[in-house]
Amino acid sequence: MLSRVADALFWMSRYLERADHLARAVDVTFQLDLDLHGVLANPVEFEWNALLCMLRQSPPQLREGEDPVDAVQRWLLLDTANTGSVMSCVNRSRNNARSIRGSISPSMWRELNKLYWRLSDAALPARVAESPHDFCEEAQIGVLLFHGVCEATLIHDEGWHFIQLGRYLERAEKVLRILDSKFGLLERAGAADLPISNLQWGAVLKNCVAYEAYQRLYISRVEPERVVEFLLTNPEFPHSVRFCLTQILQSLTEISGRLPDRCDDEVVRTVGRLLNDLVYLDGAELDGEGLHSFLGNSLSRCARIGNLLQQQYALQ
Amino acid sequence: MMSHQLADGAPHSGTNCPLSAQEGLFAGYELGAAYDEMFGVQANGGQIPRPHYQPLHDRLLQTSAEDFRRRKAMTDLSMRQDGVGFTVYRAEEGIERVWPMDPVPRIIPAAEWRQIEEGLTQRINALNLFLWDVYHEQHILRDGVVPAGLVLQGAFFRREFVGVNVPRRIYIHVCGTDLIRAADGEYLVLEDNARTPSGVSYMLQNRQVIKRVFPSLFNDYDVLPNDDYPAALLDVLQYIAPESVPQPTAVLLSPGMYNSAYFEHSFLAQRMGIELVEGRDLLVDGNRVFMRTTRGRQRVDVIYRRIDDDFLDPLTFRPDSALGVPGLVNAYRAGTVALANSIGTGIADDKGIYPFVPEMIRYYLKQDPLLNNVETFRPEIPAQRSHVLDNLDTLVVKRVNESGGYGMLVGPASTKQQQDDFRRLIEANPRDFIAQPTIQLSTHPTFVDGRFEGRHLDLRPFVLCGERVTVTPGGLTRVALPKGSLVVNSSQGGGSKDTWILADKNPATSRKT
Repeated sequence: MLSRVADALFWMSRYLERADHLARAVDVTFQLDLDLHGVLANPVEFEWNALLCMLRQSPPQLREGEDPVDAVQRWLLLDTANTGSVMSCVNRSRNNARSIRGSISPSMWRELNKLYWRLSDAALPARVAESPHDFCEEAQIGVLLFHGVCEATLIHDEGWHFIQLGRYLERAEKVLRILDSKFGLLERAGAADLPISNLQWGAVLKNCVAYEAYQRLYISRVEPERVVEFLLTNPEFPHSVRFCLTQILQSLTEISGRLPDRCDDEVVRTVGRLLNDLVYLDGAELDGEGLHSFLGNSLSRCARIGNLLQQQYALQ
Repeated sequence: MMSHQLADGAPHSGTNCPLSAQEGLFAGYELGAAYDEMFGVQANGGQIPRPHYQPLHDRLLQTSAEDFRRRKAMTDLSMRQDGVGFTVYRAEEGIERVWPMDPVPRIIPAAEWRQIEEGLTQRINALNLFLWDVYHEQHILRDGVVPAGLVLQGAFFRREFVGVNVPRRIYIHVCGTDLIRAADGEYLVLEDNARTPSGVSYMLQNRQVIKRVFPSLFNDYDVLPNDDYPAALLDVLQYIAPESVPQPTAVLLSPGMYNSAYFEHSFLAQRMGIELVEGRDLLVDGNRVFMRTTRGRQRVDVIYRRIDDDFLDPLTFRPDSALGVPGLVNAYRAGTVALANSIGTGIADDKGIYPFVPEMIRYYLKQDPLLNNVETFRPEIPAQRSHVLDNLDTLVVKRVNESGGYGMLVGPASTKQQQDDFRRLIEANPRDFIAQPTIQLSTHPTFVDGRFEGRHLDLRPFVLCGERVTVTPGGLTRVALPKGSLVVNSSQGGGSKDTWILADKNPATSRKT
């Protein structure tokens, strides 16, 4: 496979995953905002700023007469001046797909193209000010459709594995970042805050499409420690960091064409070690500062995996 | 004979109630001076569908404007969702335009098509013989059949390639020849596109869309499938591969996604199952061509290139080209890689050479041309020069060594000032120009503003030359959508139509496959 094609497949998939997570995060924050409105003194500031903080973005410039929350939603969802907005990510994903149209199935292209046109259609963005829900849902469904079509129509060979790499590396990073941005809540939680804590940790789960899955496993209230453990170490849930790393490792071994235990290159080693740390994680380490440093360390290892991939496969 | 009847535009005798005034969506349909594909004219001046259009005509007559509008919208949506179209770039934001397709198909009966097919085959054979000749012994120049100066000083003659032996002696592997119909219905060759002709993906895509949107139209006709084109092209590519390679690797070399024909490049690469590469994906080492892959270098044996000669190799041609591959031309010369089309084919489809193609056919093949050229005057010849200069207001003047509609004067649409400018240019450099009468391209019912109106069109069939010559049954029919316009280019308000070649019902003349 051409290195340029592998690179474009990787980024096509990675940008799409990014768009998916951001769309969900905006939607979840919007719902949480409505819930917390009557309870907290300044939920708007609190939740939307936390979201911007997690995304490492500063608050957008307000347009004349624009409500600050509307501005954040516009900036994160629609504004193409923001290279990290949902619209920009879908656009970049589509541009990558277009540069290698011959290497993906026509129906994958069609699905991605339809998503782009649906989101650019004037009607949908116009409704964002009232509720971002439709737009966010459309984006998430589009991404799911794309991966469904990809799963069913593309040969599961090298190129398909590069798509998986982009998708799961981005997802692992996003889940780690969501947890990292919320670890402060762990310390502040007191008995009086229970309903609120329940809402906020529920939102963390929803950000990772994990709410229902979590509820099935742990009946009762949402407990922060369990949420952290679940999202980091559950071997079967598709949005847990461990699950993502398992997929990454599997795709890497398929791409290299070698047996898993004979894979001795740097990138496989880095992924394997991080995965082992998660498999044998001691829950007791995960309070307060311990969690913070574990998450920070994992995030920098994910960044390293991305860099190593570029070197190894001459990705651009 | 059927073809005779059609060429004369004779009415279909089997119709019970000929329509003198048109009905339904055809109401108000006007015939001009041009040949109309669907309607002939009766002795009393009435319009009557030609026999091969009768079933389509009857079906369209039963269609309401609303229904047709809905189907037209479906074609547009389908094209947009598939991302079929060309790209116009403005700043960093890509503006994608879909090339509009008109859902009324253009129909060509079997007998007419056979004549086109034979004519095009004859023509590509002659052009390939001509190219081999001018890059080797140059008999045709020494015999004075084609003026030597026209060839040797032509902008597209590649001096560097004199004496190079191209694989299988084929220069033009893919040719897209533009045909138009004169007022009497005769098919004429307007130009040969022998460099990197495009449009074949639209031919294939149009068929897919019309099958989806208007399947009932196919009920009354046996339309020959055109779907085999990519496979036939791959056959050609494999045929020209270096003979020592048992399983050659072919690639399609594209300038990349910002090229206006990128859709076609990726479409063809995918349908052939070959890699679409850009210049930066290839490298030449020891006169061999490789592509950069995730597992290191991989050898490349055949390149279907969609990049012009000038940009192919910065070491040989334009040094500022970032699209090409340094060293590619030398590898080609060494025979380690094959190119389709070959380098230097531009001298065969140059406008200055065009008037001599009928002579080439007689010279190399000892045959009369089966498809005629448009009558062409060469101001270089004094007797013709005065005719050209006296008739600038009615002629089309074209500059040789140019392509893509640049440097043209369309007499009837020009100002006095433009004519005077061209007069001076022609007098100064008569050999740089040719002139042709303004041909009224044939018209065809086309859906405009809720009804059918006649619009001018041309036809670009696609010819492949490998082990044998293959003319894919079909072609790209381009339509000039503005009323009265004769310009069919996509950039100037052109659209396209699906083109139906009908199966031969007569077993005596049908080809065995």
